[in-house]
Amino acid sequence: MAQEQKAKEVPTVTFTVKAGWEGAPRTLEVKAAEGDLKPWDLDSKLRVVKGRHPRLEAPLKVTGRAKYTYDISLPGMLWGRMVGAEVPAGEITKIDTSKAEALPGVKAVWTTEARTVRFAGQDVAAVAAVSPEVAEDAARLVQVTYDEKPYVTELEKAMATDAPLVYEEAQMPGNKEVPRRGNVLGPQRGGRGAGRGDVAKGFAEAAFEVEQTYRIPVHTHSPLETHGVIARWEGDQLTVYASTQGIFTVRDGVAEALGIDRKNVRVITEHMGGGFGSKLAPSATGSAFAIVACRLAKQAGAPVKLMLNRHQEHLCTGNAPSALMTVRIGAAKDGAFTAVHHRSFGSAGIAPGAGTGGPASSLYANTPNLKVEEHDVFINGGPAAPLRAPGHPQGAFALESAVDELAEKLGMDPLELRRKNESSPVRLMQYDVGAKAIGWERRNKKAGDPTTGNWLGGDPAPPRSKKRGIGMANGNWYVFARGSGVGAQVKVHRDGSVELFSGAQDIGTGFRTAMAMVAAEELGLRPEDITVRVGDTGFPEGPASGGSNTTNSVAPVVRLAAHDARTKVLALAAALLKAKPEELDAAGGKVFVAAQPGKSATFRQAAARMAGEVIDCVAERKKQYETLRQDIAGTQFAEVEVDTETGEVRMVKMVSVNDCGFPVNGLTAESQVIGAMIQGASWALFENRILDRNLGTMVNPNLESYKILAPRDMFEAVSILTPVANAGNNTSTAGLGEPCLVPTLGAIANAVYNATGARVRTLPMTPDRVLLALSEARRA
Amino acid sequence: MSNGFSRRSFLKTAGAGAAATSLVGVGARTEAASVLGPGPVPLSLKVNGAVKALTVEPRVTLLSALRNHLDLTGAKEVCDRGGCGACTVLLDGEPVAACLMLAADAVGHEITTVEGLGTPDKLSPLQAAFVECDALQCGFCTPGFVVAGTALLRKTPSPSLEQVKDGLAGNLCRCGTYGRVFEAVQKAAKSTAAAPRRG
Repeated sequence: MAQEQKAKEVPTVTFTVKAGWEGAPRTLEVKAAEGDLKPWDLDSKLRVVKGRHPRLEAPLKVTGRAKYTYDISLPGMLWGRMVGAEVPAGEITKIDTSKAEALPGVKAVWTTEARTVRFAGQDVAAVAAVSPEVAEDAARLVQVTYDEKPYVTELEKAMATDAPLVYEEAQMPGNKEVPRRGNVLGPQRGGRGAGRGDVAKGFAEAAFEVEQTYRIPVHTHSPLETHGVIARWEGDQLTVYASTQGIFTVRDGVAEALGIDRKNVRVITEHMGGGFGSKLAPSATGSAFAIVACRLAKQAGAPVKLMLNRHQEHLCTGNAPSALMTVRIGAAKDGAFTAVHHRSFGSAGIAPGAGTGGPASSLYANTPNLKVEEHDVFINGGPAAPLRAPGHPQGAFALESAVDELAEKLGMDPLELRRKNESSPVRLMQYDVGAKAIGWERRNKKAGDPTTGNWLGGDPAPPRSKKRGIGMANGNWYVFARGSGVGAQVKVHRDGSVELFSGAQDIGTGFRTAMAMVAAEELGLRPEDITVRVGDTGFPEGPASGGSNTTNSVAPVVRLAAHDARTKVLALAAALLKAKPEELDAAGGKVFVAAQPGKSATFRQAAARMAGEVIDCVAERKKQYETLRQDIAGTQFAEVEVDTETGEVRMVKMVSVNDCGFPVNGLTAESQVIGAMIQGASWALFENRILDRNLGTMVNPNLESYKILAPRDMFEAVSILTPVANAGNNTSTAGLGEPCLVPTLGAIANAVYNATGARVRTLPMTPDRVLLALSEARRA
Repeated sequence: MSNGFSRRSFLKTAGAGAAATSLVGVGARTEAASVLGPGPVPLSLKVNGAVKALTVEPRVTLLSALRNHLDLTGAKEVCDRGGCGACTVLLDGEPVAACLMLAADAVGHEITTVEGLGTPDKLSPLQAAFVECDALQCGFCTPGFVVAGTALLRKTPSPSLEQVKDGLAGNLCRCGTYGRVFEAVQKAAKSTAAAPRRG
């Protein structure tokens, strides 16, 4: 599902590549745009790429020198503070800012023109003052009166026919073609949810079937650096320092909202303290704080820094929708699925986008009959935002729990049942890798019965109340890459120094380092020889970092620009070495005759021969091409220990086996995967955004009662990447950040079942829910 | 609070130059006490070995003083209520949450921030281990972990994995980098143990 703008016909060039993966290579012809390079494949002798390199900015970050948006201070800068609605629904009748304006040190005030409030935390007013403390005081002095209205904050209550309406039908967002009733919009049947075959027929043919309902609450992204900007005007030129995943999105959104020319807006994000999908909007899905900051700065005639506080971050910057999912699977006697029906309701607050049908639509693609129905349910809560593979970890939790429940009914090993129905050759290979790494054979053959497992290598004395279990689950993702409108620039200076420019931002993935490695590969240098400048709209355009598309959108164009520079440096060296450029190679800081490596010049000596001061190479991204695989496969295995007396679940180990095309930097790629398992374990065991049904506002808008996984909860997390060539561009890169979170919740839930014989179908698996499931299992 | 202001409390110091200050409400009786504020007051803080003069309202936290008045932005403001460890600094060698302490209460103490532990060109052994092990992703929590880890290693030079988890228990990372942070702390412990002791 390569996402690509339909471009005009471009002349193509055909390359023959050795695609696939180790153990299963295959020769493939790919049609690339003319001027593109032959993709790196299984035969490529890569010296830097696919290696392991510490991130280039790490020394700045570990010493506190890296300046994030939150850390930037400009001369004469004021501090802004947003004021959010205190009620979940109603009409604003009055906003009185007189007391705030009268407070010494307050320099600007903004109030909303909107009158309808649909969630607590919605933008109402803002102030800018000489210090953060005065801004906080002023924000508290803004007095807002509301004509309060009935509201609903719980998913299932909002589905009731007599529930208070979050929107009148005419104002309800979302596709107008989709049926709507009360607060419910759905079923969505387009796109991935279109389905196939006839599920009624499929279930009639089934020898076995399961149908179960699974629940998951809302999670917040909780990046440690809250959303925020610093806005500075110099005449009609606006500079915005933003904590964002998409500097060009901020530029365009700010320009449009303020009615100014986008070329007069510059957005900068040098370092960014986490986003996970919440920082893809010009401001945030539930706030226009960036626009407000620009207006306050204009009004005050001074730069304004406006960072949200932690409370606001939870309320109005997005979240992952809740989900109530019913999965029905039918199978023949041999385990082959005859039908899958995924039906979900979920709430993205006041926004649509709560679908969870992706995994059911994409996994087990050989299933002849499939129906996916997704419903959005509106509640008076902040709008959701994409969160790391939106809807997929949730959907996979339901689907993969149900597959496990079906295996139990069939009396089959859950891994065998998955093999039987697997449609991805990559995942079939990954099953063996993962099963070996976790020690799948140790699991309880009968769930909850430790005598049927092999836990202690024969040691017969496990602690009575604690039980171990192993489970696994699958996940899917897609190859998203921008095939046009992405650029890169490489400058080789006369002194031999090299600069690389990309407008895309490094959101903590190691993007900057990966791009240095791509350029270093071409130029025969070390990554640390390349000065990488990213996150500035003054640089060649890059994509917003969403959909796991940054590396695979930008790496191919970085390679093109660096290759252009290489060609020019090799031409300079050729004269020096009295050889033909095509006889030369570059590595280790040297340019040399490939057949006689002793005959060499340093990169610096070659660069010194350039005519001017700089070799300046700018490249444009060539189109993404048809490829071996257009999905990203992954599977995960979890081992847990459950205390059956306290109900506490402790993670012991988790193994992720994931494809990402070619990983550019193994070190940072693994960090991302390990992080995804930890974030997923946090959702599975701890996280739960709670809206107070009596007050309509969030009960736990902080980081101690909105609990995220902490050091004491840690476990052994192992990432195994299975490189696959070719993902469809000249670097064979694909996405990684999201797919590795998709299987996690299901794998943990299945491990808990294997340990205890008790199925927990509602997340998070807190002790009370585990104890309840245990008592239900005992009764059964 | 009736006036609606947070942290707008009045400080009384028990005796001039005393290291210990106490926070008491308006109208409390303390003989020979001096009242700070509510307006800005001059303070001097000893940060990373240097004495820094600043003028702040008494309600200004140590974190705000470091970040907004001394441009030491290594310590991060994340939860602003002691729940995440991102603002950890050393006070006389002990890790504290700078967001929970008033700047005025830090007068007379030795404050060490992450900037005082090393520079990009001269990393401390723990900072170097963080870089090598890739014990960071977005890096926003990293200064807090580096400071907490430094405090841990000073007390427990060769910590077990459980001791490392305990020593870092108050720090949160949202990217999920804990495992590599533990690895970095244990690696630094080894490298320090292997190196000849100086001083």
